[in-house]
Amino acid sequence: MEENYDLTLIIHRYDPDTKRSWKQTYHLNAGRILRFVDLFRKINEEEDPGLAWNSSCEHGQCGSCSVKINGKPLLACELLVENAVEYFGTTTFEIEPLNVAPVIRDLVTDIEKAYKRVDKVKPYIIQSAPLSEKGEAYSITPDEMAPYINATRCINCFCCASACISSHRGFLGPNAMLASIVRLMDPREMEKIERLRVLYSDQGVCRCHSSHACSFVCPKEIDVAHFIALAKEGRFGSKSQKK
Amino acid sequence: MSKTLKIDSTIRCDVLIVGAGGAGLRCAAEILERRPGCRIIALTKVPHPQKSHTSTAQGGLAAVDPKDPSDKNLFHMFDTWKGSDCTADQNVIKKISEASWEQIVWLENRGMHFSRDHEGRLLKRTFGGHTIRFGESPAYRAVFEADRTGKGINDTCWGETIKRGICFMNQTIATELLFNGNRCVGSIVFKQKEGSFVRILSRATVFATGGIGQVFKVTTNCRQNTGDGLAVALRAGFPIMDPEAIQFHPTGIVGPGILASETLRSVGGILRNRHMEGFMERYAPKMKDLAPRDMVARAIETEIREGRGILNPDHRIEHVWIDLRHLPHSVHEEQIPEVRGFFQKYMNIDPKTQLCPVRPSQHYHMGGIPTNEFGEVQTAFQETVPGFFAIGECASASFHGFNRLGSNSILELITMGKYAGERVLNYMEDADTDLPDEPAEATFSQFSRYVENRGRENIGKIREEMKSLMTENVGVFRNEEKIVRAIEGLADLKKRAGNIPLSSESLIMNQELVERWELDNLLDLSMVIAHASLNRRESRGAHFREDFPERKDAFNHHTLASMTEFGKVNLGKRSVNQCIFEAKEKFYEKFGIIERRY
Repeated sequence: MEENYDLTLIIHRYDPDTKRSWKQTYHLNAGRILRFVDLFRKINEEEDPGLAWNSSCEHGQCGSCSVKINGKPLLACELLVENAVEYFGTTTFEIEPLNVAPVIRDLVTDIEKAYKRVDKVKPYIIQSAPLSEKGEAYSITPDEMAPYINATRCINCFCCASACISSHRGFLGPNAMLASIVRLMDPREMEKIERLRVLYSDQGVCRCHSSHACSFVCPKEIDVAHFIALAKEGRFGSKSQKK
Repeated sequence: MSKTLKIDSTIRCDVLIVGAGGAGLRCAAEILERRPGCRIIALTKVPHPQKSHTSTAQGGLAAVDPKDPSDKNLFHMFDTWKGSDCTADQNVIKKISEASWEQIVWLENRGMHFSRDHEGRLLKRTFGGHTIRFGESPAYRAVFEADRTGKGINDTCWGETIKRGICFMNQTIATELLFNGNRCVGSIVFKQKEGSFVRILSRATVFATGGIGQVFKVTTNCRQNTGDGLAVALRAGFPIMDPEAIQFHPTGIVGPGILASETLRSVGGILRNRHMEGFMERYAPKMKDLAPRDMVARAIETEIREGRGILNPDHRIEHVWIDLRHLPHSVHEEQIPEVRGFFQKYMNIDPKTQLCPVRPSQHYHMGGIPTNEFGEVQTAFQETVPGFFAIGECASASFHGFNRLGSNSILELITMGKYAGERVLNYMEDADTDLPDEPAEATFSQFSRYVENRGRENIGKIREEMKSLMTENVGVFRNEEKIVRAIEGLADLKKRAGNIPLSSESLIMNQELVERWELDNLLDLSMVIAHASLNRRESRGAHFREDFPERKDAFNHHTLASMTEFGKVNLGKRSVNQCIFEAKEKFYEKFGIIERRY
């Protein structure tokens, strides 16, 4: 196990003022357990304070720092130097912004635009099921929740959307579909028909190629493809619609 | 040649909310539920509201279930009062505790995925300091959503706001408050993506900008928690209440700073120094590693300070070890899987066979912009500022006093968010809409200075020096000599910050420009924290003075610290509300000035 690594980072840059794109190479020596967000900070401190990148919580809970490293979408806060060297078998890393939204500058994308697809599926309860008693919580057992609870862990980092092989522009993408599927499976949601209409529209599950790339890259290890497969199987038919 | 900064446009709205985490979103949802069509603009510095720091809260949400035969609101109020070291305001404690269960139901009904028991009811767990019958036994009072309770709150409130129609401005910061006379009428904001300054005129303005964790070297807080709202309020002449009240968790994981929970010690983990000595035996011969949070934090700091710590070469952070190697396989697998996962993920360490590096990590700021129990901001003279509200971690009402109990912070977010929302609606009934065209002079002189500064300094380096200075001198241990050293150091850093050149004058997504602004915010707040710490010549809750280790009755009040010129701090007081004690009802004596012993 090395103590330090001599790394080469090739970072895709973009200047919105001149509309110029280029690749910039940085050489840095870094300790084995530094994370890639620490490397970006190190570049800002020691070499290039102008390099722009995104992060917030920096421990895998918010999904702000997603980038592509050597082609793989991942969270920069979760990738340690020595793991990256081992996984990719190199000390040279090409880092680019996720291709899910327009780039604003360097590694910062306009993620709000990608979120438009999540907004489209209405990530909330559209029409509440009747309550047995007003002012009370719904009664839902762990067994009832078990089939969908894993899907509620999604942080909308858009790594899955970036890895998805469906190239259709209008496609909702895996994470947006997941947000809708959660509410289709949630007994508190009454409005299933509107959800199914979006899910089975020409922007929905029919665009999925079942490559399972989404499950493969998900930093939260959610089996996204499984939930999409349920939708493809027609598991959320309107018979659960009680009106 | 520097650019001439200008206001690109003026936008009018009913309510401007600055910060879109749990408190800001809950406030917006309340307003929109009560008044559909209300025009709310909510700003967030992060790329999207879902990326807010609230999302990282793990544990739970304290609330007394009216159906629970053993628990009562009064017990929760007592625990909060005692935990605060007699410095929380009892009117606020009462208001928040009594509304707590209703708020849980509100979240559940709107789709939060709370963990359940086998009968389908909300599951509850215990948290340190929460008891029934005034300390008799632990209370099962915290509802939770697995280890992602904050995410549940944030996602649910965000969903409600988009359902009802809100305008978000992401990656946008508020740089200056606007006033018409004494009435707050909005803010100048800077939209990072467009690189444009906008004047937002609003009938009411709510600050919900979050914490200050980045003042310190190791923190559980997000990169974005740079105390912006506090600094902007400070520059507008408002005080910060109890800036010195800062909570440190004893065992943060070196690197990301995240918590290695207390569970590690309760299942038998042993803290060791560089000589492999189990040092807690020296500090707490009986309790050893199970001693209270603040005592453990001070023991770890002492070890580090006296040269028995270990330096992590990669993060350049000194730490001690927590030894979990002797624990049975079943404990690793069943009782501490999450924390084990953190060590594996961020340190490449297997706690079964390797020592784990930990050190005290800044966790929460009890202090903030002073408000009353409705979230209305108060001046240094305790007058309410019309149109200006503050909620969440950036505010201090004060629910937590000088020490916050676990699971009380996210409860505060949602209840104060709701109360402020109600109050905003009432206020707008008679708020005049006569809004002036303020020129934004303060913002422009500040930002053009950043662009014009020349020299050889670097933002990141000065920020790191500040964090070390504050961690070493105004952190877990404080004394006069150290605090004075910090004040001198901060003055020097502020001067050096004037020699930071920006590599680009562009305004579009210029991360450096925003970080330069954040650095000023951090330096200003650090200065206020240091002065308030110096002035409080006693120890109380999380504020520990080595030279004055006891609590003193002479300090039974809040600090109000103002600073309009860097380094010139004015200190005032606000009395602690003791309405429960004064009402003289049953058990009122529990709400007097009591000892904080567990």
